[in-house]
Amino acid sequence: MSDSDLPAWSEPFVGDRRSSLLRSRPLGSLDRAAVFDGADGAGVTVAIIDSGVERDHPAVGGKLVRSVVIEFDGDGEPTVRPDSEAIDVVGHGTACAGIIHGLAPAADLVSVRVLGPDNKGKGQIFAAGLEWAIADGATVANLSLSSRSEAMFPIFHDLADRAYFTNCLLVSAANNVQGASYPSLFASVVSVAAHDVADPWTWFYNPAPPVEFGAYGVDVEVAWKGGGHAVATGNSFAAPHIAGLAALIRGHYPEATPFEVKTILAATANQPG
Amino acid sequence: MSPARRPADRLDADALELLRSIARRGSIARRLEDGAERAVLRSIVEATVALFDAEASSIALFDPGRNQLVFEVAAGEQGQGVIGLAIAPDQGIAGYVFTTGQPLALSEVERDARFGRGAAEATGYVPRSLVAVPLIDDSGSLGVLEVLDKRSSAAFSLRDIELASVFARQATVAIRASRVERDMASLLRGTLAALAAPAGTTDPPSAATPATVARIVELATRNLDGDDEGRLWAIVDRVARLRQADPDELDLLAEILEVVARRAERRASQRRRSGRARGVE
Repeated sequence: MSDSDLPAWSEPFVGDRRSSLLRSRPLGSLDRAAVFDGADGAGVTVAIIDSGVERDHPAVGGKLVRSVVIEFDGDGEPTVRPDSEAIDVVGHGTACAGIIHGLAPAADLVSVRVLGPDNKGKGQIFAAGLEWAIADGATVANLSLSSRSEAMFPIFHDLADRAYFTNCLLVSAANNVQGASYPSLFASVVSVAAHDVADPWTWFYNPAPPVEFGAYGVDVEVAWKGGGHAVATGNSFAAPHIAGLAALIRGHYPEATPFEVKTILAATANQPG
Repeated sequence: MSPARRPADRLDADALELLRSIARRGSIARRLEDGAERAVLRSIVEATVALFDAEASSIALFDPGRNQLVFEVAAGEQGQGVIGLAIAPDQGIAGYVFTTGQPLALSEVERDARFGRGAAEATGYVPRSLVAVPLIDDSGSLGVLEVLDKRSSAAFSLRDIELASVFARQATVAIRASRVERDMASLLRGTLAALAAPAGTTDPPSAATPATVARIVELATRNLDGDDEGRLWAIVDRVARLRQADPDELDLLAEILEVVARRAERRASQRRRSGRARGVE
């Protein structure tokens, strides 16, 4: 088996391969302390589009302010209903929420549950959830999932543009399987893969798109369903680290646009070595 | 109005030859049917267990009819209990990975009543750690490959996810290929019915009468079971039955076939040489 058989998702961010990320930055380095000291994400709303978020989990710190479920109605149209119980059907969304809350403790969290019992329409449900989150005023949206349906391409493309123009930053986990997936491949989205440095405050910028950022995603201690915890590995857990950092930046610079947040993330990223 | 031509008249020699080759492939697919797909999947989970030195590995496939993920094959000391288990396509770790297409590895999952424990206990084995990757290609998600508990380590690494993804890709390719083969029979029926429909008709293919379809099938498959090919099919049938053979018997068979095939090749080339020699005279 050759290395070329392996998916390319996290390759640039792991071990010795990171040296290829070393470069002289056109804008120089920003002082991390100046950007992040005292930042706590206050005034920022982060939407977590996932399997739900367990409101009572200690790792969420009581910051879950809204919770909705996207489902098909009787006519087969996606509809939004409040999730008064605020549950997580897997544990995955709570894991993401815990990571974001750990980095940006004052940020408000909103759960958009898009895992429904009918698998066939998952792309539509996912898109409806994203559309709702943008309209609801999310500052940052964490998407640890993506759709491979070609039919969903124009819909997600429109939603990614809408998010960009309404100042909502989409942070998406890179898909590790070959072939296109949306919206993680769009230019306006912050696409994230996992690195293996056990530190939430270590992240790398990759100047070769589509996956531009590498964040902590290997053996991460995460919150899980039922008040529990787990040790988890996957791009799914790298994305919320960048979402948490983006929430801190937006808390510090409330007027910053997605383009500026991405630039700050790149200028404060670790240099490999 | 001129009388409708007999449908068979519209079939030229090339079309007939094409239909014959489809019929041949469909026939092979039917004779090997599910066994081939299952055998490939089983070999993939067996290889996965060996490579990871894991307690178990399994593949669950999505059944659209039941709207459930069904565990089809498993390997490893702790794997067998999961076969036949059906879960909702968004339930548990397998459901999450299937629905989102995102692979993940988990360990030290706290033993909580709500963490899919019911499903795990139903299999007779509750894992400490697992990796789950989607069986996915450009046409969508087919299922999930899971590996449970590496004996050498308490957790799965990023590299493990990448390796499991390579195995998942093999499984995906195998399933797609066998489904194409299985669809061949229905493709053939549909094609024949369309050809058999009276010229100029706008009715769907089902408008063709059974008699005209039968007539075309007869034409298309004539000679298919001629003397030589009939014997070949008998061999194919026997090969299909060898699914029950053990490895020693398979090795023996391979050796026998090799000897017979070499002998046949030698005789064929002798015939060709002697034919040429006569031609020169």
